[in-house]
Amino acid sequence: MKMPDEKPPLGPIEPGQLPLVKAPDTIWRSIEAALDKKPEPRRTSLFAAWQWAAASVLVIGAVGAWYATRPELPSWQVSRLEGSAAVDKIKVGEWLQTDGNSRARITVGDIGVVDVEPNTRIRLVAASPSEHRLTLARGEISATVSAPPRLFLVDTPASTAVDLGCAYKIKTDQSGDGILRVTSGWVSLEWKGRESLVPAGANCRTRPGTGPGTPYFDDAPEALQQALSAFDFGKGGEESLGTVLAQARVRDTLSLWHVLSRVEPRDRVRVVDRMVDLVPLPAGVARDKALQLDPATLKSWREELAWKW
Amino acid sequence: MRTSDIRRHINLKKSGRWAVQGNGANLSDPEINEIVEGCRRGDREAFRAIYEAYKDKVYSIALYFFHGDQTEAGDATQQVFLKLLTSIGSFRGDSEFSTWLHRLVVNTCLDGSRRSKSRERFAEPEEMARIADPASQGEDMERQEVAGRVQAALASLPPKLRMPVVLRHFEELSYAEMGEALQCSAGTVASRLNKGHKMLAEKLAKLREVATRR
Repeated sequence: MKMPDEKPPLGPIEPGQLPLVKAPDTIWRSIEAALDKKPEPRRTSLFAAWQWAAASVLVIGAVGAWYATRPELPSWQVSRLEGSAAVDKIKVGEWLQTDGNSRARITVGDIGVVDVEPNTRIRLVAASPSEHRLTLARGEISATVSAPPRLFLVDTPASTAVDLGCAYKIKTDQSGDGILRVTSGWVSLEWKGRESLVPAGANCRTRPGTGPGTPYFDDAPEALQQALSAFDFGKGGEESLGTVLAQARVRDTLSLWHVLSRVEPRDRVRVVDRMVDLVPLPAGVARDKALQLDPATLKSWREELAWKW
Repeated sequence: MRTSDIRRHINLKKSGRWAVQGNGANLSDPEINEIVEGCRRGDREAFRAIYEAYKDKVYSIALYFFHGDQTEAGDATQQVFLKLLTSIGSFRGDSEFSTWLHRLVVNTCLDGSRRSKSRERFAEPEEMARIADPASQGEDMERQEVAGRVQAALASLPPKLRMPVVLRHFEELSYAEMGEALQCSAGTVASRLNKGHKMLAEKLAKLREVATRR
């Protein structure tokens, strides 16, 4: 007979064979996002019991009426591209998962399509006139969207891809690391105030806890790409910055423009000097304001540089 | 206690019930009550403090329950804490806070398991070891292999037997407390654990045999 207060045996598992695993930071971010969407819980003491009873009657009536006339949850159409797709639509809140042999196409309202590659898990989060939003938990998607900027968003464990009118591929692995490749237009990768603007022909890596790295073009020198990776996610420091500056071509001012606001203040002069070596400072862009990271100045400079990208 | 002190307070606590393996917080009942009260008021700091204290334990239980599927475990952890916040008003302090939280974890995992039954998969021992202990790659291959076998054997148990085994491993709960979390009697807990441990021992013996033959 076991005593209720007795502690059960551990069985054949020895200590350390099921180590404690650290919860990824992405969980708190998704909780925060959910909290920001939900109203704060109300204190029960604000309501007296009779108010609760009256409110309950009203709620039951309202729920009944709503149930009878409820609209369907918004959904998007799903079609099979390869393999065995078992669903024909995805509703808000639902997940779609492809196996190793399946590809599917989601029709994003009337603004575009998302192709879902094999071994991908994706959820429809919002399908309203003001927000079309997916969550990519793992795998790869290709999105082609024709819509006003910031209407179509894809959350990944490491950042949010904000469509600025474009076509792109985004991939994320089990650990949450991801890479974005833009094929037309622009995409903004965002995480906690950190933003990378990625034009067609460029890529951007992203990591949980750090957010988007520095964008770079497909044809950027290999050494530059590696140095950017060390600069963004490793402990590249001085050495990687030196390589980035030395390897950068005119087109790579895309990367340098992003690096400028991410280096230590003492290194900004080196970055600005290198950018000016590659492309003379345009009229209307003041060097001292660029060094102070004045947002309007940086924006004007980026718009001028973009002609070379 | 001011809510601004809560996080500092938790950071100071590094051992105890929720800290069997060096994680979490050993909070006294009055401290828990303060934090729970903060959560009831909708205080985000208090909620964060609870999350920080228990997140790794909740995530680990979910991860081993869901065969090492990090996405499922992440989803379940998120749901547990969102449910905690919305139902904290129903925690009256009759049982310990940790027992109440275990119940949320158990319900969320079992619900998730029912929903994803069709696509349940079984991780390979090597995969489980990599997920559970990514930092130790190449450090102690033998230990890692054994741990991988244990985790894969655990993953193959039916959910009803798997949950008590995982819960028991992570928490020093009595039969009665486990019964409360699993919503069954102490006798049922004893029977499920006994059955689970037996099946686990058999599967481990088989896996060990396969490994020695390689």
